[in-house]
Amino acid sequence: MNGQIGVYICECGPNIKDRIDIDKVIEDISSLGDVKTVKRFPLLCSNDGKKFLEEEIKKEDLSHLVVAACSPREHEKTFMDVCEQADFNPYLFQLINIREHCAWMISDKNEATAKAIKYIRAGIRRVALHRPLEKKEIESIPDVLVIGGGVSGLEASLSLAGKDRRVYLVEKTGSLGGMAKKLSQLLPNQGSNLSLIDEKVEQVHNNENILVSTSSTVGDVRGFLGNFEIVIHTDGETSGFRKAQVGAIVVATGFDVFDPEENSQYGYGIDNVFTAQEFEEQIKSGNVLLKSGKPPESVAIIHCVGRKERGYCSKVCCCYSIKFAHYLKDNLSNVNVSELYVDLCLPHKSDQEYFEEAKKKGVHFVRSEEEINVNQKGDQIEVEYHSEGKTDSIVVDMVVLAPAMIPSGDTPELAHLLNIPLDKSGFFKEIHEVLDPISTPIEGIYIAGCATGPKNIPESIVQSQAASGKILSSLIPGEKIVPEVKVSEIREEFCTGCQTCLSVCFYGAIRFDSFKGISVVNEAICRGCGSCVGSCPSGAIRSKHFTYPQLYREILEALR
Amino acid sequence: MVNGDVKREETPMNSAQDMKNRNSLKGKIVLVDGENRKTIIDLMKQLLEKKCLDAILVPSQVPDTDSYTWLLVQEGSLLDLCDPLPPVMTVQGGKALSSLTKHGEMEANIGALMRPCEIEAVVELHKLKQIDLDHIILFSIDCPGTVPLSDYMRDPQKMAENFKESIKKWGESESLRPICQICDRFSLFPFAPSSPKSSLSQGGADLPASDIHIGLLGGNDEKIFLWPVTQRGKDLLKKLDLSVHDNLEVWESKVEEVREEKLKKRTAFHDEWSTKIKGVDNFAAIFDECINCHNCMEACPVCYCQQCYFDSQLLTLTPEAYLERAQKRGSLRFPLDTLLFHIGRMSHMALSCVSCGACEDACPMSIPVAQVFTAVGDQVQDYFKYVPGREKEESPPLQIFLEDEFGDVETPGDGLETSHGEAKENV
Amino acid sequence: MKKQNVLVVGAGLAGMKAALLLANAGVTVYLLEKESLIGGQTIKFEEVYPNMECATCMVSPIQQDVLQNKNIELFLLSELESVEGETGRFKVKISKKARYVSLVNCIGCDACYEPCPVNLDNEFEENLSKKKAISVPCAGALPNVPNIDPENCLRLNGKKKECKACQEACVFDAIDFTEKDETLDLEVGAILVATGFDLFDIETLPQFGYGKFPNVYSAMEFERLYAQNGPTEGELILRKDGDLKSIGIIHCVGRKEQGYCSGVCCMYSAKFAHFLKHKIHEAKIYEFYTDLCIPGKSHQSFYEETRQKGVDFIHNETIRVESQKDRLQITYRDGNGSDSVVPMDMVILSPAMIPGKGTEQLAKTLGINLDKHGFFNTQNERLSPVSTEREGIFVIGCAEGPKDIPDSVLQAEAAVGKILASFR
Repeated sequence: MNGQIGVYICECGPNIKDRIDIDKVIEDISSLGDVKTVKRFPLLCSNDGKKFLEEEIKKEDLSHLVVAACSPREHEKTFMDVCEQADFNPYLFQLINIREHCAWMISDKNEATAKAIKYIRAGIRRVALHRPLEKKEIESIPDVLVIGGGVSGLEASLSLAGKDRRVYLVEKTGSLGGMAKKLSQLLPNQGSNLSLIDEKVEQVHNNENILVSTSSTVGDVRGFLGNFEIVIHTDGETSGFRKAQVGAIVVATGFDVFDPEENSQYGYGIDNVFTAQEFEEQIKSGNVLLKSGKPPESVAIIHCVGRKERGYCSKVCCCYSIKFAHYLKDNLSNVNVSELYVDLCLPHKSDQEYFEEAKKKGVHFVRSEEEINVNQKGDQIEVEYHSEGKTDSIVVDMVVLAPAMIPSGDTPELAHLLNIPLDKSGFFKEIHEVLDPISTPIEGIYIAGCATGPKNIPESIVQSQAASGKILSSLIPGEKIVPEVKVSEIREEFCTGCQTCLSVCFYGAIRFDSFKGISVVNEAICRGCGSCVGSCPSGAIRSKHFTYPQLYREILEALR
Repeated sequence: MVNGDVKREETPMNSAQDMKNRNSLKGKIVLVDGENRKTIIDLMKQLLEKKCLDAILVPSQVPDTDSYTWLLVQEGSLLDLCDPLPPVMTVQGGKALSSLTKHGEMEANIGALMRPCEIEAVVELHKLKQIDLDHIILFSIDCPGTVPLSDYMRDPQKMAENFKESIKKWGESESLRPICQICDRFSLFPFAPSSPKSSLSQGGADLPASDIHIGLLGGNDEKIFLWPVTQRGKDLLKKLDLSVHDNLEVWESKVEEVREEKLKKRTAFHDEWSTKIKGVDNFAAIFDECINCHNCMEACPVCYCQQCYFDSQLLTLTPEAYLERAQKRGSLRFPLDTLLFHIGRMSHMALSCVSCGACEDACPMSIPVAQVFTAVGDQVQDYFKYVPGREKEESPPLQIFLEDEFGDVETPGDGLETSHGEAKENV
Repeated sequence: MKKQNVLVVGAGLAGMKAALLLANAGVTVYLLEKESLIGGQTIKFEEVYPNMECATCMVSPIQQDVLQNKNIELFLLSELESVEGETGRFKVKISKKARYVSLVNCIGCDACYEPCPVNLDNEFEENLSKKKAISVPCAGALPNVPNIDPENCLRLNGKKKECKACQEACVFDAIDFTEKDETLDLEVGAILVATGFDLFDIETLPQFGYGKFPNVYSAMEFERLYAQNGPTEGELILRKDGDLKSIGIIHCVGRKEQGYCSGVCCMYSAKFAHFLKHKIHEAKIYEFYTDLCIPGKSHQSFYEETRQKGVDFIHNETIRVESQKDRLQITYRDGNGSDSVVPMDMVILSPAMIPGKGTEQLAKTLGINLDKHGFFNTQNERLSPVSTEREGIFVIGCAEGPKDIPDSVLQAEAAVGKILASFR
């Protein structure tokens, strides 16, 4: 080809100038066929440098641009911006790192120069095969689907709905409020005011921008960020289905609790052995009573029920168990309360104080190993536990079990429907547990609340607000979405339809066209990671901007 | 494990003694009417007549020639051309079935009668979505091997005779292809409990992919053994009013006896080939005579790409670049990339290679392609504890990621330096 | 309320995450940071639990994004002076100290450090290394531009007014001694406080022997000691040389005094054990805890993995560090009241997280309350965990109380959710 490649070498002050013989580089590079011009400049990333580069691109009528300077992490974006300024497709540009890779690494000037020449030559070979890539813009729908009408779902709906954004709230049961409605009261650091939940339910019902579907499930989901098509199935009186388009989805399907019947050691089934949820109901009714109708004189609250079976600590049980102890001490005179715990998990700054207050009220806190045996003993219940190598037991009238939080039953089904992964505990898996704890591999689908793991109410609310933050920031009414440009594409004539690429695509960007018998990339979802390219046994997939010929030419030249 | 030190897994149940200690398989013993071939054809005819199957894909002789091909038979009388065990493998069955089912869905039920290595290829292609097995009933048959295609075409009559002889001796014939002589998967092995290789299976015995297996060993041309492997197979035999209460002990012990012999041969084969394929020079020497016709690729059932990368333009360079290469080495061989082609094909196919020998039959230069692929393939398959064609639902190893896979590769010896500069602990 | 500018105070992970998310929505963000670099405490860590990912690798793309984002205006070496007005129209005054090095001209070549005649303790490195009066705190600091410490620079503090060693070494004309501190007035619609935390002063608890015994380290010292970009480039070079056969990690240092559990120390202590087991296979590692606080779905398996590597987790009621014949020892009392003694070669103390320095002053400036522990108070009857009692002012991350990285990130995103929702 007769290219018009421009090569610009940055001296980077003394950094490159002193350690690489730039004149020699220019001499060598100038001899290459497709190179139109090779020039040096003191500091290309400076304002003068950028202006120089912009003028050069226009003046020299370049077909491709190579800049030999520093790491792409430092200034690739800078120079791509310059390209755009100069009306030059930024994908026709390649940055060669001769500072970190050559000047700073090699003390011998000749060797550093030789390596720099190789790198630049390789870059020139590569860039000659670059094609202009154009940004696309996709219309997006600002509306949001929220799955689950518990605390998380309510909060997400309220913070998202507005005059320019509708929310479809889908709840599988007949009413909103979720698990929180079953509680007797909130913890003191949560404001203790349970009527807040009812208020939120009312606000949701009164908000004309929130379309609530109770007794409903999501039947089908297709599409991508900004353009999901959903189907909502409703049972009961208003049975039927409704189709809608949304731009994003918040999954707030909450949790279930561990069934203590799974392990007979917890004695669930014995009279007067209750789960925490049953006990909450008793408190709510105002009557904490034994089967005999008498109030208990002694109660044992057992923490960590199901922790060893599930393999994680549910975070909230210590605190609500202490809440039970407070209630008992405040409402039943002379009641003896023992808390059997493995470790006290009190991670919030005000938790410890709550615990110490309970201790002051005379609650016994007993450290025990996970092996606990609950057995009937006459009218009473014997709780046998182990501590520091010794076995001990207490006899009580009533036992309350604090069971682990587990993924809600429909989690696997929903994961399949939405094409998002589960973690090893069966909860939804975050795309990055540390840095991005509510996002999924599918852009536009977020998980909030206990659907990703055990959480208390304020944490669930934070998650919902975070999901709103993400959605409000990325899905702005009236603004278009610009998907990744450097995506993969499948060449029909080579694709054998083996679908290996489907199994490796993390983002669910590939579907199988069964009519044609080939796989197809959805460019709006693809992020250009290249997994499919590497996995395709037929070499039918290529990554735009990282094509095999581009890479081969680059490598061949570098290894010459 | 290195250098071709390959042993097929020996499981406790493999010895003849252990076999007797277990319950024998149940199946149907059919008395032979005339010859094996006719009995099997009658069976197939019944299946068509009773509308158990809409059509059957069978190997058949091309009328008035010595050659064989695949026929999709719907009219029962045409089954007379069928030969369940032709002396040669002209087209691998997997390839035939793939072209039948690859495009579009099918309502009809179709049977296919094949050798075990062809069934294995079918299963590999199924995993790669090149065959849809939903409406396919697979019949496998004990296979003594085949004679080399080139030998057969040179003197069909004599080689057909030699082949008949070899059936009597069950593979103990020099006339058979070398790859058939060391074949230890000539039948199905119902008695092998989940072998250590099946780390990916859900436990229990490996499920042979065939629906009905036709056992010949131990029948002495007087009886054949029908073993319904799957529920589908059982249902089918039921429709033919064939009760499946007979003990198949005779067949089983004979199969085991032959298999032990074959295993010994295969081990000896690996001992021999481990040195032959060691190193690039030895490897290159084997393919020295290659003329780059790519027939091996065309014949290979699991080499399924629409267009081979090596046939594409991606590897072509400018004359200038070729000259430069020639200058570096003194000379440059044309056609190009012969060795690269075989290594490339091997890297794609070694895991799925079912040692069917189609490539070797297809080679006009008599290069022992199948033997090289088997020598390498067995080793690679062993690394992944993978047996190609074993289970329909198993994923090919390169499509799945197992966290604890290849621990010894990641941390050889004292540990590999990680990017963080710390030695990983040995697992 | 229309789209308005937002002030984010503190450019740690939470602050950066919030700033980026706001900027993405087209909001102009003023990002205030009192240090000369961005990234906060997270960039001091070599790895983060539970997946032992490299923290620098995780955070540096975020730092880069912040530096390159056109909607984010960064004010380094800056603090909040005053806040007036109310939500939607806050008038804020910020004071910005002179850097003396141009962020535009400097390319971070580090040619200026060497000639500087002043040697100082490097606080960023927990004083485990030295720095010059012109320097960046650690390799990989972003922005990769040094600043001059005016108190110690001989020219700026007047001790040697003619010194211009650094200026002469700089070929980019990046050093300007005449730069002045300045005060700036901004108008913003909302304020996000992300000022982070400090660590409990372990020297106030003599029973742990910190400051007395050289090989008793604080957790943050240890973080830097094993960081690749730290003072020893990841080598375990102790203050007092010797074999490392036995190492004790003590949890909950300062928990009793502070009156709360910090929620993260158990996990990062287990992280230390992970690292130590990798580094010194044969060393015996002990973790002394009062309660294991490992909440969350993946933390327990991390703990179990650590135990499987042969790390001993020992429950104790009381504990102290002493020295016996030149070797450290830990004496602890278990649940049965019996005492045990374990000899040690190194002890790492995991201190409680406490409110960041200057929190009290900042609370006054912002006109919001602190809780009894001295963190910003966000507890309210509205179940709105990142809001304060002054509308338009939000508190995120560890400024609100001890928490781990994901919780800080979530709060950042949540506050952005609140702010963007209010702009409708």
